Amino acid sequence: MHLLLASAPLLARGAATTVYLSVVAIFLATALGLVLALAQLYGGILLRIVVEVYLYVVRGVPLLVLLFAMYYALPYAGIALDPLAGGIAVISLYFAAFMTEVFRGAVLSVSAGQWDAGRAIGLTTPRILTDIVFRQALRVAAPPFINTCIMVVKGTSLVSIIGLADLTYVGKAIVERTLAPFEIFGVVALAYLVLCLVLSRLGRLLETRLSYVS
Amino acid sequence: MSVDLGFITRIAPTLAQGLGTTVALAIPAILLSALWAIPVVVGLMARSRLVARITADYVEVVRNTPVLVQMFFIFFGSGVLGFPLSGFTAALLALVLQNGAYVAEIYRGGIRSVAQRQAEAGLALGLTKRKTFAIVVLPQAIRKVVPSLSNQGILIIKDTSLAATVSVAELTFQARLLADRTAAVFEIFFTLALFYLALTAIFAATMRLIERRVRIT
Repeated sequence: MHLLLASAPLLARGAATTVYLSVVAIFLATALGLVLALAQLYGGILLRIVVEVYLYVVRGVPLLVLLFAMYYALPYAGIALDPLAGGIAVISLYFAAFMTEVFRGAVLSVSAGQWDAGRAIGLTTPRILTDIVFRQALRVAAPPFINTCIMVVKGTSLVSIIGLADLTYVGKAIVERTLAPFEIFGVVALAYLVLCLVLSRLGRLLETRLSYVS
Repeated sequence: MSVDLGFITRIAPTLAQGLGTTVALAIPAILLSALWAIPVVVGLMARSRLVARITADYVEVVRNTPVLVQMFFIFFGSGVLGFPLSGFTAALLALVLQNGAYVAEIYRGGIRSVAQRQAEAGLALGLTKRKTFAIVVLPQAIRKVVPSLSNQGILIIKDTSLAATVSVAELTFQARLLADRTAAVFEIFFTLALFYLALTAIFAATMRLIERRVRIT
């Protein structure tokens, strides 16, 4: 108990970094995922190929490898990113691929009949997209979107390996000095659990707001 | 900056060693996750409220905490308890605990997706509940979950890279050692990425074969 009290300020600072990383990365990944999904759905053939290659690479290469590549290789290319900016960039790029799949899947799930209906009442393509397709896609996208957000929060723990003092990093550093893995990692895990559960609750709220019956 | 292709052929043997360990970790991790998920899904769907509650809590906890933290918890925790596990065992355990929960959810989704009517038809034919489940519901459910299992397997293969943090000399670990010793980091990480892409592609292709095999025609 004493140990936990003594570690609390450090862990809190680590948690703040984790929250900051998560929020920024979720925001960026969502924005980029939306753009990429639209590019893949409605872009030209060249754009679609580029996005497809990007998705393929991210699907097949571990996040940790991409983080290491950024950490070790970018300085040689003359790009000096500090670990925080680099970590945010890599995590956002990585999860943007998952977000792309979420949004693309949601848009494709809206049946073709909805398009026909929109045309039949004389709507233009952009209006059909914004007023009919995207509205329905949003409902389909909400649950997998929240799941991906939770993956982002969990994924931020990997920045500890490249030396960023997030929750996991602080926890491990304390354990190495105090040899109290159960207490410390227990608290660390609990903190992640709370973060992710808050996200799922927010997600459920979002789902109710988006549902037809209100 | 120039990319030295000859260098890649020189580092390939070192990476290949790591590849062996990655495969040796990924295969049991995938198989054991698929196996461990069976008692978990039974627990999730159990009639006993208590069992269902406890299993659901387990799934909730592991799915909402990073596998890296679980790995550290098991690795450092086992040391303090007096039976230190190797990094390999700790990584395998963490991967199975986490992914078993995800796979259990996949199984549950598969079982639920088999229409209620199919089960009713089985019962109408005079099959027992158990038999209906075993020869009507389960065979259809298994077919439906193969693509999701394939995705989960790919995530497991990628997550084996985290074993590098508990000193398992797998692919990523070896690549990092090489990167610490040489300046040819582009070549190293490029080759490393190719190795993972090849692994996941081979796995995905195998799963597609299985999917085609079990498809209902």
